[in-house]
Amino acid sequence: MAEPIIRFEGVSKSFGEQVVLRDLSLDVAPGEFLTIIGRSGCGKTTALRLVNGLLSPDAGRVLVQGKDVAQTDPVALRRGIGYAIQSVGLFPHLTVEKNIAYVPSISGLEGWKGKERREKAEALLRRVGLEPELAGRYPRSLSGGQRQRVGIARALAAGPEILLMDEPFGAVDEITRGQLQDELLCLHQASGITVLFVTHDIGEALKLGTRTLVLEAGEVQQYAPPSEILSGPATPFVEELVCRSRQFQARA
Amino acid sequence: MELLQEIFSLYAQRSDWFLELLASHMALALSAIAMSGTLGLLLGVLISELPRLAPPVMGVCNVLYTVPAISLLGILIPFTGIGDKTAVIALTIYGVMPMVRNTYVGLTSLDPDILEAARGMGSTRVQLLLRVKLPMAAGVILAGLRNTVVMTISVAGIASFVGAGGLGVAIYRGITIYNPAMTAAGSVLIALLAFLCDLALGALERYFKKRGSP
Ligand SMILES: Nc1ncnc2c1ncn2[C@@H]1O[C@H](COP(=O)(O)OP(=O)(O)O)[C@@H](O)[C@H]1O
Ligand SMILES: [Mg+2]
Repeated sequence: MAEPIIRFEGVSKSFGEQVVLRDLSLDVAPGEFLTIIGRSGCGKTTALRLVNGLLSPDAGRVLVQGKDVAQTDPVALRRGIGYAIQSVGLFPHLTVEKNIAYVPSISGLEGWKGKERREKAEALLRRVGLEPELAGRYPRSLSGGQRQRVGIARALAAGPEILLMDEPFGAVDEITRGQLQDELLCLHQASGITVLFVTHDIGEALKLGTRTLVLEAGEVQQYAPPSEILSGPATPFVEELVCRSRQFQARA
Repeated sequence: MELLQEIFSLYAQRSDWFLELLASHMALALSAIAMSGTLGLLLGVLISELPRLAPPVMGVCNVLYTVPAISLLGILIPFTGIGDKTAVIALTIYGVMPMVRNTYVGLTSLDPDILEAARGMGSTRVQLLLRVKLPMAAGVILAGLRNTVVMTISVAGIASFVGAGGLGVAIYRGITIYNPAMTAAGSVLIALLAFLCDLALGALERYFKKRGSP
């Protein structure tokens, strides 16, 4: 395995008495599409928020590109990591164009003003399968699927090497979700970006992931390519999980 | 009807005087609003960023707000004398509360998911405040400003009791020389001014509320 781009080293995290992650160790190779699956409340979001420093571990370390997150300037770290969440969190007072340009703008990146900004926003809209004409609209006038796509465009704007996605397709209808999944796969293949994708849908996890991490009660049940998870579930929990989803096609 | 006629003939006869009073009334209110607006906004931002300070600051503002305007003026006289200065200080103290309250509520009741996204994308604390929180809270903050403006304009009507200018002069003179029409003439102008400001700020508030909501 190449030098991992993200590494969890014996990470534990509790909220009060409640232990959410227990001694989690994990290496993610560059370009990997890691899907993280587990039931609601098992610590998936917590794991993601440890990567961009929104949370810090009680024990252990999280390394991003070889550097301990705890020793890194969180603002600079986050600007280099795309972040897309289920509720999207688009800024209602900004146009789609300005939403997309948010990270470049707060980072003071060159070439994100006036006409250039419009052109770059439009190019990103095309990349996520949207009409460039949407650039001037406000988020409230978009459909749920369109908002998700704008959220992904916004996460990609500053050209991050890592993309964190927290149940990004949880709130859209089945058909739109299928389209979004296919587009995300294309995007991943074209860009080689490393993706950490949280979901509670095993079908989605197996379809999208080059590797899948199954979490339960804060512990790793299995960490393997989807085909292995299907063919050799490591624990009864994984067995039961995949049992219901044998009909889904594995990606790798 | 008779009173109404008297009022209008007063306006016609003494238009210069009333215009002068109206101008000084607006100047008085505007200085107080500029101060209470700024102070209230800053205090509101401060206590939303440092929530531990919120209960004491809100407590003090609430208490000051319950002091009747006329007693506040009276209490200030020994310290700041009589005249416009005392009136502006009293009106400022009085107008701060709605601004602090609305700024605080506006900034602390924003959609947590949007703030999570903004933080997760690498906003600094200042960027989060200036680019996300304040624009999104603008509608609620404007509602507070509207409250302050209307209240200040109407309470400024009693500023003449401490020797300040403004339309209160007409009201006060109407009372002392027993000329109810003059008192009413001053009051009507105050009400009209407050009403127009309320309309204008109401429209602005609706625009920003729409803009800041998903
Ligand atoms: N900031 C927090 N404070 C207290 N408890 C939290 C916090 N964040 C998460 N938790 C708790 O930790 C557990 C795991 O949360 P989370 O990582 O969000 O789960 P998942 O994303 O897998 O549904 C949940 O029980 C949740 O209530
Ligand atoms: Mg979650």
